[in-house]
Amino acid sequence: MAVADAGRPETVAQFERASFTGRASEYFGIWIVNVLLTIITFGIYSAWAKVRRNRYFYGNTVILGRAFEYHATGKQIFIGRVIVFLFFIGIQIIAAIHPLFVIVTTVLILAALPWLVQRGLRFNARVTSYRNVRFDFVGSVKGAFVAVVLGSFVSFLSLGILAPLASRWLYRYVFGNLRYGDRPFFTEPRVGALYGVWFVPALMVVIGAVICGIVGLAMSGAIMAIVNNADMTEEQMILTFVLGIYLAFFVVFVVYGLAALVYRAGVRNVVFSSTKLDDKHELLSDMSRARYAWIAITNIIVTVLTLGLMRPWAAVRLARYMTAHTAIRIHGDIGEVLSSIESTGAAMSAEYMDMEGIDFGF
Amino acid sequence: MVSEGSVIARGEWHPANSSRSVAATLQLAGGLVVAVGDAAGERHAAAEPEKMTFSPRVGSIPRRIVFPDGSLFETRDNDAIDAYVEKRQGRRSGFVHRMEEFHPRLIVFAGLVMLLAAGIYRYALPALVELAVLLTPPVVPDWMGSGTLATLDRTTLSPSKLPEADRRRIGDGFETLAAKAEGGAGAYTLNFRDGGYIGPNAFALPDGSLILTDQLVELAKGDTDMILGVLGHEIGHVERKHSLRQLYRAAGIAGLIMLIAGDVGSGVEDILTQGGGLLALSYSRAAESEADMRSVELMRAAGRDPAAIARFFERLEEIYGDHGGNSMLSTHPDTPERRRAILDYDAKLRGVTVEKNGPDTSTPGAEGGRQPAKP
Repeated sequence: MAVADAGRPETVAQFERASFTGRASEYFGIWIVNVLLTIITFGIYSAWAKVRRNRYFYGNTVILGRAFEYHATGKQIFIGRVIVFLFFIGIQIIAAIHPLFVIVTTVLILAALPWLVQRGLRFNARVTSYRNVRFDFVGSVKGAFVAVVLGSFVSFLSLGILAPLASRWLYRYVFGNLRYGDRPFFTEPRVGALYGVWFVPALMVVIGAVICGIVGLAMSGAIMAIVNNADMTEEQMILTFVLGIYLAFFVVFVVYGLAALVYRAGVRNVVFSSTKLDDKHELLSDMSRARYAWIAITNIIVTVLTLGLMRPWAAVRLARYMTAHTAIRIHGDIGEVLSSIESTGAAMSAEYMDMEGIDFGF
Repeated sequence: MVSEGSVIARGEWHPANSSRSVAATLQLAGGLVVAVGDAAGERHAAAEPEKMTFSPRVGSIPRRIVFPDGSLFETRDNDAIDAYVEKRQGRRSGFVHRMEEFHPRLIVFAGLVMLLAAGIYRYALPALVELAVLLTPPVVPDWMGSGTLATLDRTTLSPSKLPEADRRRIGDGFETLAAKAEGGAGAYTLNFRDGGYIGPNAFALPDGSLILTDQLVELAKGDTDMILGVLGHEIGHVERKHSLRQLYRAAGIAGLIMLIAGDVGSGVEDILTQGGGLLALSYSRAAESEADMRSVELMRAAGRDPAAIARFFERLEEIYGDHGGNSMLSTHPDTPERRRAILDYDAKLRGVTVEKNGPDTSTPGAEGGRQPAKP
C-alpha cells in the first residue's frame, strides 16, 4: 500500500496527482465478454456489463493511494432500463397512432427533465464510494431546472455566446451540491476564466463557418458551371452534388465536434481547479486542451478503423490522460469522514427509478 | 488466539460508513473470518463466511469484503481471495472473470462478436421486423392512418378544389386498380386534397388511405394512366406494409446502437447513428423500387398502360428539368436506373427484351410517389 497510515493522510502542501492503473490488455477481456454476452442475451446483459465496465474504471482510478468503487447492481440498472424502455415504446406507439401527441409527450418530458437530471446525478453520486464512504448529491429539482433547462436555453438562444454562463450554472449545481460523506464540495468558477477557455473554440466555430461559406460558394459556382456544361451526364452531375453535400456535413461535424472537445476540456480545467472539498482541500485539473482533443479524435479514428476492436485501448488511453491530469491538495487533515447515507437497505433499493443514463462525463 | 489463525490476505479495514482505516489482515479462525489489526493484533470484526459479501472480481481492482456489521476489509490481493472463496465453496468462482482473462480464447470471442454483429444486422433484424409486422394487430395501422391523415389535414392539407368530373374519372380508374390489389377494392380509399406547399405528391398511409394532391393531377394534364401509375405505386407501399417496416427497422437500429453505446464511446455512437440514417435511406430506395414494380403489375392487370409511372418521371423532367440545381436537391442518385428498371420490368412482363442501354431518358425530377418519411 502506498499510504501506510491511510486513515490520516499527511499534511501536504502540494498537489497529489491521481493515476489510472487499468491496462488495455486487461480491459479488452472485460470489454469483449461484455459485448459478446450482451449480444447473446439479446441485450439483457448490458446492464451487468455496465456495472463491470464502471467497476473496472472506478476501481482503477487511484488518488492518494486508494481507488474509487462503483456500487450499482446489474439488477438495479436493468429495472431502470426496462422502465425507460417501456415508457418510450408507449410514447412511440401513441405517436405513431396520433402524431400530434408528440407535442404533448415532448412537453411532458421537458417538464420532467430537471427531475430526471437531479435523480440521475443523485444516483451516480450515491453508487460511488471512496475509502468506504459514499458520495451524495443534495441538489434540488428547481436547481436542476436553472442549471440544465434554463442554461441550455440561454446558451442556445445566444448562439453559444453565453455558453460560459450556462457552464457556470451547470457546474455550480453539479459540484456545489456534491457531498463526500458529510463533507461538502464547493465550486466557484469565475466567468472570466470560463470565457478564457471559451474563446478558442468560439474562434474555431467562426473560422469553420467562414470556411463552410467559402466552400459552399465555390460549390454553387461549380454546380452552375456543371449545369451549363452539356457534356456532363446526369449521373455525374448528381454524384458531384451528393458528394458536395456529404463533404459539407463532414466539415460541419468535424469543426463543431472539435470545438466541443476543446471547450469541454477547458471547462473541466476551470471547474475542477476552482473546486474545494470541505472548504479547504483544493482540486486541480490541468489537461492540455489540444492533447485532449487529439486523444479523443485519434481514439475515434482508431476505433472505427479496427471495427471497434481497439476501443478498450482507446478508453483506457483517455482515462489515463484525464486521471493523470487531475490532482488534489490536502490542507491539514481530512480526518474521519462518515457516510451520510446508509450504504445498504431501503435508501438504495428505492433508487430503481433513477435514470442511470444521465451523467456529465466526469 | 486470533493471531494463530491462517492468513487469507493483507489489506485495510474500515469501520462501517467511515473513511478511517487501519492496516489489517483477513484471517480464518475457528470457522470465522476475522479482520485483525496489524498494530495491536486486535480483532476488529468477525463473522461466519456465509454472512459476508465478497465483491465479484473485475480485472485487478481492489476487492471488498463486507462484514455483517457494515465494516469493510479491502485488499488488492485478488488471487488470495479467489483461492479462499474457491476452497470454501469447493468450486471455482468468478465464471465471468475467468472468461475475461487475457487468453487466446479472446480472439475467438472477438471473431464471434464480429460474426454475430453482422448476422444480427443481416438476418436477425429483418426477421424481427417481419415478426413485429406479423404481430402488429390490424387495428394499429388503422389508427396510424386516421391519426396521420387528421394531423396532415390540420397542418398542411386543405380540401381538394378539383372538378367533380376529374375526381370521378380518377376514382373509377382507382377502383379497377384496387380491385386487383391485395385485399381488394375495399382495402383502399382514395382521398383528394389540396397539397399546399407539399406540391405535386401522392402518398399512402398504412391503413390503405391514399392521398392525391390536386397539384399532381394538374401536373398530369389529363393523363389519367399516369396518375393511376403513381397510385399503383402507393398501393404497393400499402401491400408491403413499408411504413410499418421502416418504423420497426429504425427503432431496431436505434435500440441496437443504444445497447452498445457505453461500450463504443459517444463519438463512435454518433457515427453509428449517422450511418444508420444512411442505411435507412438505402432501405427506403429498395422499398421505392419494389413499389414501382408493383405499379407495373397492377396497371397491367387492370388493363392500363403498365409503364405509365415512367411517364410520370418524364413529365417531372419537362416541368422541373430546366431548374437544374433546384430540383436536384430532392432527387435520388438512382432515378435513371429506377426508370430503366420500370421499362425493363414492363418489357419482361410483355415477354419482350430491350437492349440494356435504351434511350437515355433519365429524369432529375422531384420524386413523385413517395410516402411521408415518418407517418
